[in-house]
Amino acid sequence: MQKSQTFRASFIASLPVLMGYTAMGMAAGILLAGKIERQDITFWAFLTSASSISGALQFAMVDWIANRTALIDVMLLTLFLNIRYAMYGFSLLERFRDIGFWKKFYLIWTLTDETYALEVENKVPTGGDPIRYALGIAALDHLYWICGVTAGAAAGKFLPFSNEGIDFAMTALFLVVLTDQCREKSNRIPAAVGIISAIAGRVFFSVDNMLLPAMIIIITSFILLRKKLDSGVKA
Amino acid sequence: MNGSQTSYILAMTAVCFAITILLRAFPFLLFGSGRECPKIIRYIGRVLSPAAIAMLVVYCLCAVFRNKNFAENGFGISELVASVIVIALHLWKRNPMLSILCGTIIYMILIQKVF
Repeated sequence: MQKSQTFRASFIASLPVLMGYTAMGMAAGILLAGKIERQDITFWAFLTSASSISGALQFAMVDWIANRTALIDVMLLTLFLNIRYAMYGFSLLERFRDIGFWKKFYLIWTLTDETYALEVENKVPTGGDPIRYALGIAALDHLYWICGVTAGAAAGKFLPFSNEGIDFAMTALFLVVLTDQCREKSNRIPAAVGIISAIAGRVFFSVDNMLLPAMIIIITSFILLRKKLDSGVKA
Repeated sequence: MNGSQTSYILAMTAVCFAITILLRAFPFLLFGSGRECPKIIRYIGRVLSPAAIAMLVVYCLCAVFRNKNFAENGFGISELVASVIVIALHLWKRNPMLSILCGTIIYMILIQKVF
């Protein structure tokens, strides 16, 4: 199997992500350039998008920079906004075993929702090297994201319309991920637990402080409900 | 005072990068070398993901009204309509980016022009 054929397969698989990351990345970049008055904002769009590769963070960062949010809060919010990433690797432990430090590092660094979904789908052409395929997807998705955010920041000032409400893209992203997860019946009760716990967190705390209490309620609920929810089935 | 803002942005970028990459690496750090993953961790891992996403949806919707008055902004009707459209469109077409784009555009039109 030619290296280029495997790469072609990676590219074709990544086309939906090209669409999505361009759209969402540009939204985040436009928002960033709109709210943060700096000559070099395009550079920061590049650096932040390239390093974190996270839609949720890209939007949250705009507020953090504007408000100079305390780094401890940045740390905690990043933890909660992205904690689902800690679960993705479990499905890839075997696939990424013994591939060398730098390849593993890169594949882990770039493990976003969409890249994870494509890696798990794993449509490697027969005879192709699965790791080359995986690296192709990871690198392409990474590139799409960087380009989207940077282009958005560069062009954002020249929009003919107001960008008010563009950050709804982040809410929409989570709704889409949630909808897909809830197609699977076993995810519906956990999702409900999440919603109820979040509402409870919000009732007793301000928006900025609600995530930690919500997470505590979620974990506690799952430990209490383990008999009902853990059939000890596939993990 | 751009100098100190620059330092802040650098520090923030570093924190975000470090935490995110550690989260992504978590399973590999703990169980990369073939150690058996305790059943309770696997269980929490399995159920935590949908719960965290659902929590984030609620968080995002609440965050809209951090500085905006709920009553003065249509009691959240724009958010509700746009969210329903995202879900419905996604259930129908299964295209994440179509769902996100349409929902966002409709939301922007609603809050800018309608409510």
